Amino acid sequence: MSNEGVIEQSTAGLMQLVAAGEELIGYIYPHTPLELFMAHGLIPSLIRTLPQVPSGFEASLQTFACSYIRNLYSQRTSNQMPPLTGILFPSNTCDSLQNLGDIWRVRFPEDRVFRLTYPVTRNIIDDSTQRYLAEELRLLSESLTTIFERPFLKESYNRGISLVREFREGAKFLYSARVVNPKIISYSDVAQLVRVFLTTPTAAAASAITEAANSVKKMVTDLGIFENVESVMTALVNRDFENVQLPENLDAPRVVVAGGMIEPQALGTLIKDIPDIPESVITLDLLSFGFKSVFTPPLDESEDPFMEMAKSLLAAPGEPTQEGLKHRMIFLKDLLTNLSIHGLLICEQSFCDPDQFEAPSIERAASEVGIKTTRIPIDPELSDKARIEVRIQSFLETLTER
Amino acid sequence: MNGDRPSEEKPYRRLETQTLLQQIAFTGGLEALEASENGNLAWVTSGFPVEIPIAMNVGVVYPEQAGAIIGAQKIGPEVCSYAEDLGYSQELCSYARASIGSTEKPDEVPMGALPTPQILLACNNICGTVLRWYDAIAEMTGATVFLLDTPPIEAEQLPHHQEYVRKGVQRLIQFLEDKFSKPLQDERLAEVADLSSKAIGLWTRSLEACQKKPSPLNCADRFLTMAPVVSSRGTEQCVDFYETLLAEVDDRVSEGLGAVRDEKIRLLWDNIPMWYTLRFFNLLASRGVVFPADTYTHAWSGSIEGVDTSSIIDGIVEIYSNVYLNKGLDAKVDKMCQLIKDYDLDGFIMFSVRSCKRYSLGQMVSKELVTERTGVPGVIIEGDMVDSRVYNEAQIETRVDALLEMLM
Ligand code: SF4
Ligand code: SF4
Repeated sequence: MSNEGVIEQSTAGLMQLVAAGEELIGYIYPHTPLELFMAHGLIPSLIRTLPQVPSGFEASLQTFACSYIRNLYSQRTSNQMPPLTGILFPSNTCDSLQNLGDIWRVRFPEDRVFRLTYPVTRNIIDDSTQRYLAEELRLLSESLTTIFERPFLKESYNRGISLVREFREGAKFLYSARVVNPKIISYSDVAQLVRVFLTTPTAAAASAITEAANSVKKMVTDLGIFENVESVMTALVNRDFENVQLPENLDAPRVVVAGGMIEPQALGTLIKDIPDIPESVITLDLLSFGFKSVFTPPLDESEDPFMEMAKSLLAAPGEPTQEGLKHRMIFLKDLLTNLSIHGLLICEQSFCDPDQFEAPSIERAASEVGIKTTRIPIDPELSDKARIEVRIQSFLETLTER
Repeated sequence: MNGDRPSEEKPYRRLETQTLLQQIAFTGGLEALEASENGNLAWVTSGFPVEIPIAMNVGVVYPEQAGAIIGAQKIGPEVCSYAEDLGYSQELCSYARASIGSTEKPDEVPMGALPTPQILLACNNICGTVLRWYDAIAEMTGATVFLLDTPPIEAEQLPHHQEYVRKGVQRLIQFLEDKFSKPLQDERLAEVADLSSKAIGLWTRSLEACQKKPSPLNCADRFLTMAPVVSSRGTEQCVDFYETLLAEVDDRVSEGLGAVRDEKIRLLWDNIPMWYTLRFFNLLASRGVVFPADTYTHAWSGSIEGVDTSSIIDGIVEIYSNVYLNKGLDAKVDKMCQLIKDYDLDGFIMFSVRSCKRYSLGQMVSKELVTERTGVPGVIIEGDMVDSRVYNEAQIETRVDALLEMLM
């Protein structure tokens, strides 16, 4: 299904939920505590960028606002957002989102805007960051109770934990299986399953992932690569690639996609549309709405909920706010080398500080381990689609010329 | 509008104290070089609690100021392009690009390239960009980054925020002690905090003197004289400098001398200036326009009132978290409205800096709010502080003229 198709499908899913009396809280930053909203009987829904939104930002945002926040803002001004009961902005993650939250409050005073402020960590050995975020979560929970008159219910929280765990377990398996054999399930299919869950985190969306994972499990068992898949999954979870076992004779080229808030689904569609390029060249993404969300560690329901959520969010892999650059580059080099990767596509949103600051380091890290890279400027509207396609195509050609 | 006329005929008065800056910069440069050679140099961001490294005799330099110097020498585009050659986008903060560029090719940047640091001290109370910028410098130089995280504050600083930042400050002290094997001495910290408060007090008085009519300082004067209070408050030299400045400012006030000879219009300047064309302010001076206040130099005004290490740390935790830059749009709008009221200003110019998202995104909204609340008109002009490639002089002139026409 195309990116537009998935958007339509998930919008329809959201409308059904609203019609059934559910209340949606939109969120923007991938590392949002879904379980917290679920504990309050609310449905957290990742707000997605839309490829075709009319511009509507000119009176509030300058042209140097990143393409991501411009898209969100335009959606809001052109009434294309799903019916949200509230919207959660992150704070202390990137400057653009920080300011967008402020602007939103002024421009749309009728919207219920919440904020969750994240600590920025750098290999801190004490638990001060966790305690800080736990308190932020507790305060957010108090606001949800007061504003919506929906208290935090342990039972709903536990249900939320199981649902998110089911999603992550399935998605982690699919991600890992694709590393071993990228043809086993298409990248777009996995991206779509993940996206649908993040937009409408329902039991049906989680089951769809479990079903896909079960059928892939069967296939990998039949192919005799189950242990390889497990070794990759363990490595990605523990961020230690020492015991990775990949089968011989892997198809080439194998490409990893790096970047921040790029829609995996949009990227999948983009690659699928390039003639003569099999989608299976994408072995793994390291994107915020993909890998980083999927491999966030699970919660333990027997521990203090706020501390547990804080720990989990802060342990999301590869987030620029949570890990120093050096650490992330070591991980990247390890991953590229041990997963037999040939090329790295570095995607950047225009005017995105985090993406654009990191790209040169990623290029250097990859070249240190002999991996070719190309940088792809991309925006949610895919306004430069034809050029991007040509660029990816010629990059892949250089990889096959090896 | 002839910039070449003799000084006494120029529409603005040159500040004598300004000449001391060269001496300070020269001495500071030598000290930094020596510190770097001794393995004892820190680069600090403008909002960092510099009192702590200074109290531990760590040399400090301030890369944002180096960026300003590069801009003022009009070599911004060239130096930024060295960073762009390394892959850093032209859309990124030009202080960061100038810093990365001059670190890459120091020989090409005789004034503005900083000595190699051993540590990089970043505080994100001004923006999140500093962290990524210092990470990049760490990669280039091998220096270790210490981040003091001061998450943005919504309304007031809550206890968990205080506790978290306090832990960060304690960790900073530990980090410096481990790195340089020198303990922080209580007495020395108290002395530095005292000197810092004195410098900030003197600086604040100089700023407040601009409430007088005519204003004794224009904004270019303040932009140039703010450097010591940002980077070396806590030193004797810094206090001496601001004593001299305040004396000159007081003299001007008592003699009724303005920074602009024929003051007609009083405006607020919002944001960093375009360092490569401070002449902009002089040209406006010839039309009787003065800027008695600006949001940039008014950002550093909190002084630390502590008497021992623990209370000084409390002061640091509070002051460095509560800078208005760390509080979002409301606080910024409040600050602008307050300045317009206190300094009796007729209008404002907002400089929208393309490469500084944190400070500039939102200006279109704040412009409306400020006008709504104060009744004074404002205009937004766009460009960059270091990178003159994105400065469109003709367009800016048209916008500023439109504002002045409204006020004349
Ligand atoms: S795309 Fe980049 S700049 Fe924009 S909101 Fe995301 S991280 Fe921030
Ligand atoms: S992004 Fe803005 S606030 Fe941050 S360092 Fe650059 S100029 Fe300063």
